[in-house]
Amino acid sequence: MTNQIDLEAEIQRLLTEHDRVAEQGITVQRRDNVVVLGGEVESAQRRDEICRQITSHFPEIEITCDIGITRAQAPSDVEEIS
Amino acid sequence: MIRIAAVGDVHVDKDVVGRYRPALEQLPERADALLVAGDLTRHGTVDEAQCFATEFGGLAVPVVVVLGNHDHQSDQEQQVTEVLTDAGITVLECSSTVLEIRGHRLGIAGAKGFGGGFAGACASNFGEREMKTFVGVTEDISARLGEALRAVECDALVALTHYAPVPETLIGEPLEIYPFLGCYQLGNAIDSAPTALALHGHAHHGSERGRTPGGVPVRNVAHPVIKQAYNVYQLLSESVDSELVSA
Repeated sequence: MTNQIDLEAEIQRLLTEHDRVAEQGITVQRRDNVVVLGGEVESAQRRDEICRQITSHFPEIEITCDIGITRAQAPSDVEEIS
Repeated sequence: MIRIAAVGDVHVDKDVVGRYRPALEQLPERADALLVAGDLTRHGTVDEAQCFATEFGGLAVPVVVVLGNHDHQSDQEQQVTEVLTDAGITVLECSSTVLEIRGHRLGIAGAKGFGGGFAGACASNFGEREMKTFVGVTEDISARLGEALRAVECDALVALTHYAPVPETLIGEPLEIYPFLGCYQLGNAIDSAPTALALHGHAHHGSERGRTPGGVPVRNVAHPVIKQAYNVYQLLSESVDSELVSA
């Protein structure tokens, strides 16, 4: 059985190195037998692919996905640099 | 007065094309140029570069970018640069450009940068060949960014990198990965010139604001940090308007 630290490290590497994911900004926290995913990605497809890949590689792990989609609206203010 | 829009880490691929465009179409009303702080794509492929050019090209203002580590993933950075350049986008790598904006000269010097860490927890050019190579890249890129910054003649100078030049804008990231997120040598390079503003990305969980040891304002414009299509910064102003939307 993969220990807790190794599992988190393996998921982090999977999310970075898998060609269909390539995400470095996802947080992975394990609570008992549940893995909680956090962070933001650019599309719902990318969020869903992350969950799909983790489930495929670690079928015994339950996932709670708190990954958001980064908003892309125009800004409403300006910062003066001085 | 000069207004620059900035964002980083947009990671464009086919699934993202169209997401930014509504906000980008409004950009010329709000800013005089757009700077993108690397990680333009997911894997650095030519196809993804074309997606980025489609989404971020063809604006009514100049677009200036540096590449990020994701843009190197497929070892096609030269082809990626060519796609972007052909789309009218200026790609900087230890180089600079000057934009004429309403009688002012905006100088931008940019480089991807590299890791290495910060005071008290930085890598040294010592030991195994692999470690010396790693730190050698850090030192070389930083030195060449400094040269590019010092060579620009302009009214306002902006440094554009992907990796962070200070640790303050990394707050929120795990301390253990700071050496993979930036290096103090970039901050030294920025301080070696009369830089008005330093922009970077890469740290998705970092903080927005910091300063170099020499006092230069630093802004982390990674998209997950700013949480909007771009931020707008005003330089060379005597007063600032609180509202962006033009009449």
